[in-house]
Amino acid sequence: MDLRPHHFILWGLFIAAMLLMPELVSKGTLRTMIFACYLAMFAISWDILSGRTGYISFGHPFLIGIGAYTTAILTRRYGFPVEASIPIAVVVTMFGGLIVLLPALRIKGSYFALVTLAVMELMLQLIPVVRPDLTAGTRGISRLPALTRGAEDGYYLAVGLMLAIALFAWLLMRTRLGTALWAIGMNEESVRGSGLSTTRLKSFAFLVSAAIAGLAGAFYAHHLGAVTPRSIFDVNLLFQIIVACLLGGQAPFLDPSLAHSSWCFCWRTCVRQSALRWSSYGHFWSQFSLRSRDRAGSLSMR
Amino acid sequence: MTVALEVRNLVKKFGGLVATNDLSFDLAEGESLGLIGPNGAGKTTVFSQVMGELRQTSGTIKLFGTEISGLSTAQRIARGVSRTYQVPRPFADLSVRENIRVGLMPDSLRAMIFGAADKNREAELAQSIGFSPADLERPASELSMGDLRKLEFARTLATGAKVLLLDEVFAGLTTGEISQIAALIQDLRARGFTFLMVSHDLPAMEPLVDRALAIERGTLLAQGPFAEVLSDAAVRASYLGVA
Ligand SMILES: Nc1ncnc2c1ncn2[C@@H]1O[C@H](COP(=O)(O)OP(=O)(O)OP(=O)(O)O)[C@@H](O)[C@H]1O
Ligand SMILES: [Mg+2]
Repeated sequence: MDLRPHHFILWGLFIAAMLLMPELVSKGTLRTMIFACYLAMFAISWDILSGRTGYISFGHPFLIGIGAYTTAILTRRYGFPVEASIPIAVVVTMFGGLIVLLPALRIKGSYFALVTLAVMELMLQLIPVVRPDLTAGTRGISRLPALTRGAEDGYYLAVGLMLAIALFAWLLMRTRLGTALWAIGMNEESVRGSGLSTTRLKSFAFLVSAAIAGLAGAFYAHHLGAVTPRSIFDVNLLFQIIVACLLGGQAPFLDPSLAHSSWCFCWRTCVRQSALRWSSYGHFWSQFSLRSRDRAGSLSMR
Repeated sequence: MTVALEVRNLVKKFGGLVATNDLSFDLAEGESLGLIGPNGAGKTTVFSQVMGELRQTSGTIKLFGTEISGLSTAQRIARGVSRTYQVPRPFADLSVRENIRVGLMPDSLRAMIFGAADKNREAELAQSIGFSPADLERPASELSMGDLRKLEFARTLATGAKVLLLDEVFAGLTTGEISQIAALIQDLRARGFTFLMVSHDLPAMEPLVDRALAIERGTLLAQGPFAEVLSDAAVRASYLGVA
């Protein structure tokens, strides 16, 4: 996993291409790529917890949502400047996630995934009814302060943030801690049998994952300019994150740990443009969207 | 003489099955004790209770005089006891070196993030157990059964524990590998390590232990010098199937 000279060259080329992108592509494509950058950040967050330790989280939209809603409420309802609201959003995401999801880390295997999925669904149902004066219910909060002007600036912000998060995650995963998290994914009992407190390790991975999700979620909210429950606590977003992560993790031509985190971005862009998108997760997507449409239908009937 | 491990009136029930039945024994520091018994006698279950992977139904377990029953596995290992698993549990996608690295890691997030891996120590441990330098970067998923057992032993040693519980370390090994591991165990004994070992390969185990302890259905049958325990009538009946 050591870096070779060609890794530096490939990465140099990649970053150069990213920075030149606004000169080369249309505004519309640029907007797609902004989304891809945020998706990559979400995927990095997911990867630190689930990709490493094998505890598959279906609840990442929940974490992203805490970050997005916190900054939205603070800026629009209480007049906080974004310089304050975004760091607070990160902290709130870490604590909020901790209270709700951390107990679930003691649960084994697929139950963890189910609990996290349930939490996300719960948020979707709760947000519209709890304190609608703050959240504006299903309509969501709009006209959030913009951080940038125009697609080009928004793109540079997203790329910069994505690269910074990728670098951080990559450095962290290169440490012995990264090895230990990976080992948990392979055999948790053996990690415990090697004298390590796996609960502490998993909690740490969770906190880092939540911090990144909250940070990216907060920036994402300001990029969109609005948050609604449907756009965040959404299984479609969840599957896009997971698919981005799985595909990104398979780019074999770079250092694997780098590929694991940041290349999901590139794949995502390709996937979005191609039919692969539908063949890869179309099945799940159609299943879930059918079901949610049914539910919406039954609600409106009442 | 310090008692490294003191087990008193240990009982473990799985529903109606009594896997450990009022078992008591002492293991002196620097001593090597062979735990023998037929399949299903409850040997592995004793290990799991000492390590805190299974909670005993009743009874006490003391390590260097301190009751450890309330401690987590990681805390017990930090106090100096560690085990190998009868069925090796490697980290399949990690290299031999990285598997050993996990064993060497201190249980501190700070140290794990900011401290560097000790590559010399990793190589030294791997070599002492019989891996060649070329093996270091091989993923565990490519190893033979014999190599997996060696890796299991190396990772256990890496924890730094001085009381080692070895569960069938010789199973699936060639005679060459057995003599290499045996030499390592002798070397560790000379350096003051304490052993509790389980093996079905009695001839290989005999020179490695000071004493033997025979159990059947969780109950102590006999203990004492290896040859005496083996010639004990009850042990012969249960273990060797001879009356
Ligand atoms: N987790 C468990 N739940 C129920 N029964 C168990 C469990 N673990 C072990 N047993 C039972 O307890 C008894 C002792 O098992 P144990 O594995 O300790 O035997 P052993 O002496 O190590 O045998 P072997 O020589 O085959 O390794 C067996 O009857 C086994 O079926
Ligand atoms: Mg056994």
